[in-house]
Amino acid sequence: MKIAVYWGCKIPTSQYAYEMSVRQVFPYFDVELFDLSGASCCGGPVRNVNSTAALYLGLRNLALAHKDNFAGLLVPCNECHFMISEAKYRVDNDEEMQRKMQALLSEENLEYSGDVKIWHVIDLLHDKIGVDAIKSKVKKVLKNLKFAAHPGCQIIRPSEIGRVDDSERPSKLENLIEALGAETIGYSEKLDCCGAALLYSHVDTALSLAGAKLKAIQSQGVDGLVDTCPYCHIMYDVKQNEALAMVGGKSTISVLYYTQLLGIALGIEHEKLGLHLNQNIDRKIMSK
Amino acid sequence: MSLIDLMTMAKPNRELREKLYSRLWRVHPDECFQCMRCTSGCTSLKLLELKPHEIILLASSGFIEELASSDIIWACASCLKCRERCPQKASPYDVIIALRNLAVEREAKIPEHYMKAVAQILDNGLTENVQTVTSRKMEPFDREKLRLPSIQYPDDRFKAVFMEILGG
Ligand code: SF4
Ligand code: SF4
Repeated sequence: MKIAVYWGCKIPTSQYAYEMSVRQVFPYFDVELFDLSGASCCGGPVRNVNSTAALYLGLRNLALAHKDNFAGLLVPCNECHFMISEAKYRVDNDEEMQRKMQALLSEENLEYSGDVKIWHVIDLLHDKIGVDAIKSKVKKVLKNLKFAAHPGCQIIRPSEIGRVDDSERPSKLENLIEALGAETIGYSEKLDCCGAALLYSHVDTALSLAGAKLKAIQSQGVDGLVDTCPYCHIMYDVKQNEALAMVGGKSTISVLYYTQLLGIALGIEHEKLGLHLNQNIDRKIMSK
Repeated sequence: MSLIDLMTMAKPNRELREKLYSRLWRVHPDECFQCMRCTSGCTSLKLLELKPHEIILLASSGFIEELASSDIIWACASCLKCRERCPQKASPYDVIIALRNLAVEREAKIPEHYMKAVAQILDNGLTENVQTVTSRKMEPFDREKLRLPSIQYPDDRFKAVFMEILGG
């Protein structure tokens, strides 16, 4: 399967470990990734300033995939996945808006097509490749490791536009972790937001939200938190010390992108998965 | 003083309310029956006292000017829970985004970060510049050192269209 990949803004400018691990793991499942040329922001921050401009940004990235004849677009960032899915839903159901957007796109020699399917790392692995295919490729079974899955907000809501997993009881990320031989926990804070959207307007609140979740997970004796979004990862890993300090948390906790964990289980060298870039990761995981 | 108390000084403005509603699509604030399902699960309720059901009530009552100039609309974490759970398709999330857009248009005080992001997009199409990060061992890494391919940025035609939309 050939698929275009849209990296967004956060991943290619600082969340390199996600990009590296995504690039590493998909070829194991005969998925060939092609970077979109000329990709722009998905519209995420722009929606707060001008929703029409945000809609255009989301849509033009789909149009770029269409221009290069791709039937699918992989969007590994949760926020980008929401913005692009929302843009698609809008123009697929609002002819007037679609006409307006097509006219703007034509100024860039682009055209929107409803045929490009939007994928996230979680559904591409879980629904298309499948848990069994993943299990069959595992070289290092991740025994004696227990993780909390953090699905994030924007890939599970709002369900009316079609999301990656169930809005109230998401389970795909857990299934994917368990496919590697590790255990997962159920925890009541699972649907809590990481707070990233508040980082620039209400920094203490943003850090407290992230810290509260980390602390709750620590109290359950897990080996780490697994996420799939650069925004969540910045809150839980890059800002972990500050976040835990806000809620009186003490020790640190390992945080990894799912694609890094998958890469470890596939036997890929740690360096190629960007594991040296994670700020918090313990020996137990690195010894795998 | 709560948000509702503040409004006792204000006058509702129906015209502005229609302006707000014209920005909504498949979102119906007037259908809200104040069940508070939105507020009970709101990410920003405890720490920032955001009560989305109040935002909806005030918006549908026409207190648009007051909402657009209030800091409270910038307290939403965009977690989308209220949009998912509202039984009446009143979606506080969407109303808050529309209010933020209105605030920008009316040049009310808005978090600087968002305007910076827009300026950065006009520069390279993204909201960020490429950064050098440090590993756990404090060693610096950039895309080249990590053997990641260089980014293919959008061209000037993109900037022209983006400017055009921002200009209205
Ligand atoms: S906005 Fe929706 S969820 Fe909130 S009080 Fe109104 S009807 Fe209930
Ligand atoms: S989207 Fe905003 S208003 Fe709605 S529940 Fe989340 S934080 Fe609260």
